[in-house]
Amino acid sequence: MSANRWLATGNYFTSYREEQRIFFTSLDRTAMGLLLAVLFAWPFFLELDNKYMLVIDNILVAVIAVMGLNLVTGFAGLISIGHAAFVGIGAYTVASFSRMLGENHLLLSHGWPVMIILAGCMGAVFGALVGLPALRLKHLYLAIATLSFQMIFQWTINFMNFFNQGQTISVTRVTWVTGQVSRSQHYMFWYYALLVVIVLCGFGVRNLLRTRYGRCLVAVRDNDRAADAMGMHPGFTKVYAFALAGFLAGVAGALHAYLYRGVGVESFTLHHSISYLAMAIVGGLGTLHGSFWGPLAIKLLDLQVEQLSEWVGAHVTAATNLATALRPLSFGLVIVLFLMFEPRGIANWWRIARSYVKLWPFRY
Amino acid sequence: MKMNRVTSWMFLLAAVSMVTLPVHALAKEYKLGLSLAITGPTSDAGNPYSKGVEDYFQFVNDTKMLGEDTINCTIRDDQYNNDITKRNFEDFLDQGIVFYLNYSTGSTLALKKDFEEEKMPVIPASFHAGNLVDSNYIFLPIASYSAQAIGLAEYVVKNHKEGTPKVAMFIHPSAFGRGPVEDLQKAVGAGLKMEIVEVVEHGKDLDNTAMLQRLVSKGVQYVISQTVQSPVATMLKDASSLGLVAKSFGEAGKITFLGCHYTGGNDLVALAGPAAESFYWTTSYIVTNEPSPGATAQLDLAKKYNRDEKAANSHNYANGMMVAQVATEVIKRCKAKGKEVTKENLYEELQAMNGDKAFSPGTTVGPVTYSKTDHAGVDSLQLYIVKGGVFKSTGTPFVPEYTKKI
Repeated sequence: MSANRWLATGNYFTSYREEQRIFFTSLDRTAMGLLLAVLFAWPFFLELDNKYMLVIDNILVAVIAVMGLNLVTGFAGLISIGHAAFVGIGAYTVASFSRMLGENHLLLSHGWPVMIILAGCMGAVFGALVGLPALRLKHLYLAIATLSFQMIFQWTINFMNFFNQGQTISVTRVTWVTGQVSRSQHYMFWYYALLVVIVLCGFGVRNLLRTRYGRCLVAVRDNDRAADAMGMHPGFTKVYAFALAGFLAGVAGALHAYLYRGVGVESFTLHHSISYLAMAIVGGLGTLHGSFWGPLAIKLLDLQVEQLSEWVGAHVTAATNLATALRPLSFGLVIVLFLMFEPRGIANWWRIARSYVKLWPFRY
Repeated sequence: MKMNRVTSWMFLLAAVSMVTLPVHALAKEYKLGLSLAITGPTSDAGNPYSKGVEDYFQFVNDTKMLGEDTINCTIRDDQYNNDITKRNFEDFLDQGIVFYLNYSTGSTLALKKDFEEEKMPVIPASFHAGNLVDSNYIFLPIASYSAQAIGLAEYVVKNHKEGTPKVAMFIHPSAFGRGPVEDLQKAVGAGLKMEIVEVVEHGKDLDNTAMLQRLVSKGVQYVISQTVQSPVATMLKDASSLGLVAKSFGEAGKITFLGCHYTGGNDLVALAGPAAESFYWTTSYIVTNEPSPGATAQLDLAKKYNRDEKAANSHNYANGMMVAQVATEVIKRCKAKGKEVTKENLYEELQAMNGDKAFSPGTTVGPVTYSKTDHAGVDSLQLYIVKGGVFKSTGTPFVPEYTKKI
């Protein structure tokens, strides 16, 4: 590494320790600091309608969920197509407390950070349980095992009276140091809460990848037999990969429950699982910042296609069926195009852009 | 000379502005919102429904029914997705709506708390009785699904010969479908003499042969459906293939099929074809193949705004038209009393819509009545039967008795 960390035009590592830094250069650290400052400060200068705040909050919830999916599928190489069920586990943990203790119980309204962590833990427990088949199964067979968990989850919620048979279970408004978060403050409050959770989770995942546990994930993904021969425990690694993914999904679920102030099974279906997988692929599997790009791209695409199909449905009556198909069509098309032409996802574009800037004006 | 001409034009323009501007300045625009499935699941019902709402409000504005004031109802497609409905509702709130029209059972239940907090009067397209539980601001346009199922069950009991009728329920696997089951069981508990043999929650089955054979083996004589048209059409076609459809009501050894509002209508006949013959259907809406002032108004409205035959004759078009009529009526009443058109005043007017102030839109078989304790609009139901490929009314409108006993 260059002696001056502001002027580094490449990665000149002289030790493993240097290679494990969170920020390679001072410019990286400053840029991240500025980005966070902008993310925290922009609401003071720009007022957005609740509709758009809800869209932004929704993207942030998806970022946390996809971060979890990226751990298990991107870093550990274990395909999971039941991720929405893990998110649902988190949401239904909050909903279950709401049913058992009463909607306005202090634990839910005042102890919401505890509830979010509890939901994450519940997600981790179920993640570890679902991860057990990963000890025996691989690839397509594992995918089917996670799919069956998704089905079991939906069936259980749909038919158990305790879960209101999938109908919405209300979740209370939360209380903050300034009192109960009112309707007008709701989406802004959760924007900041989500941002804090994302920063914590982001640094958590980045740090994990610097540890031996993180490196185990990648080693098991690349070759589990070789990893075993090197003294790692592939079975344990797979189970904790699922548990970690379940934890982050559970946290995302709890945040979704508080954001929407209700939990219904319709938000945690197979379609949502596939959406999360699409976000991870489009963002870039096996990269941390791919977990940010994917949800942003897919949710914004969703919004645009939604408006287009609404317009087509309203103005071209004969094409109503086509309008109905536009959403899944565009969704599928984007995944196929990314798999064909950019399998490393948007994260790769980001990498190329960064290396261009880093080497400027000494391009090669 | 040229300058004079310009000056004259400017004077004329100023004079015209002086005459017209005060009128426009006083004219008010009342904002309403409707979120529903124009595309995606259930759009076969949502699409004509949205057209009914859109056309009627356009008619109100075109005919100056509210004087110079106009209604601006923003219609948004939510693709039957609760999360999108929530976003649409937030958007409508930002726009400053005074009245909200919702669609599905799921989203109505999901947004119930929001309606309460916002004190927003809401009329959904869902007639689920559960919408009214712990709610002050939701108003059902017509009798609930529970009342409809009980009404059908009462008809079965009254017209069944020999012993206690054996009934099965064929329902949608959701709150929408399950809603009436418990209420019908309560009605049986309260003395309605029938036996509910089985409750079938259909999936996405493309064949109901096994289910029908099972019902026959259990001695089921009547099937009451609470779902949408396509699964009913599948069931009717399979029953027809097996020779199980009763040609007359309660025919021995056969099954008589009956259904609530969203099971019937022209779409069912189009989907099931001849198998729909002798299907019994109940709703509070009129049908266009039977002459009535309401049917004429519906067809004229659809013709005025160039709607196709299918939409014009759809009971869901009537459904959308009717909720728009109710919203317009409360705005009119509010204005007539000199009150400002706000969500609070519209809510008051809705609750006062009873007795001599009941509203008859013409598109329903009875008047719309609401009060502080009654948030179900039209209490009367009409029974229809498919004869020769069209729904024909049978008997006169009725109010189910057991709804008050449970």
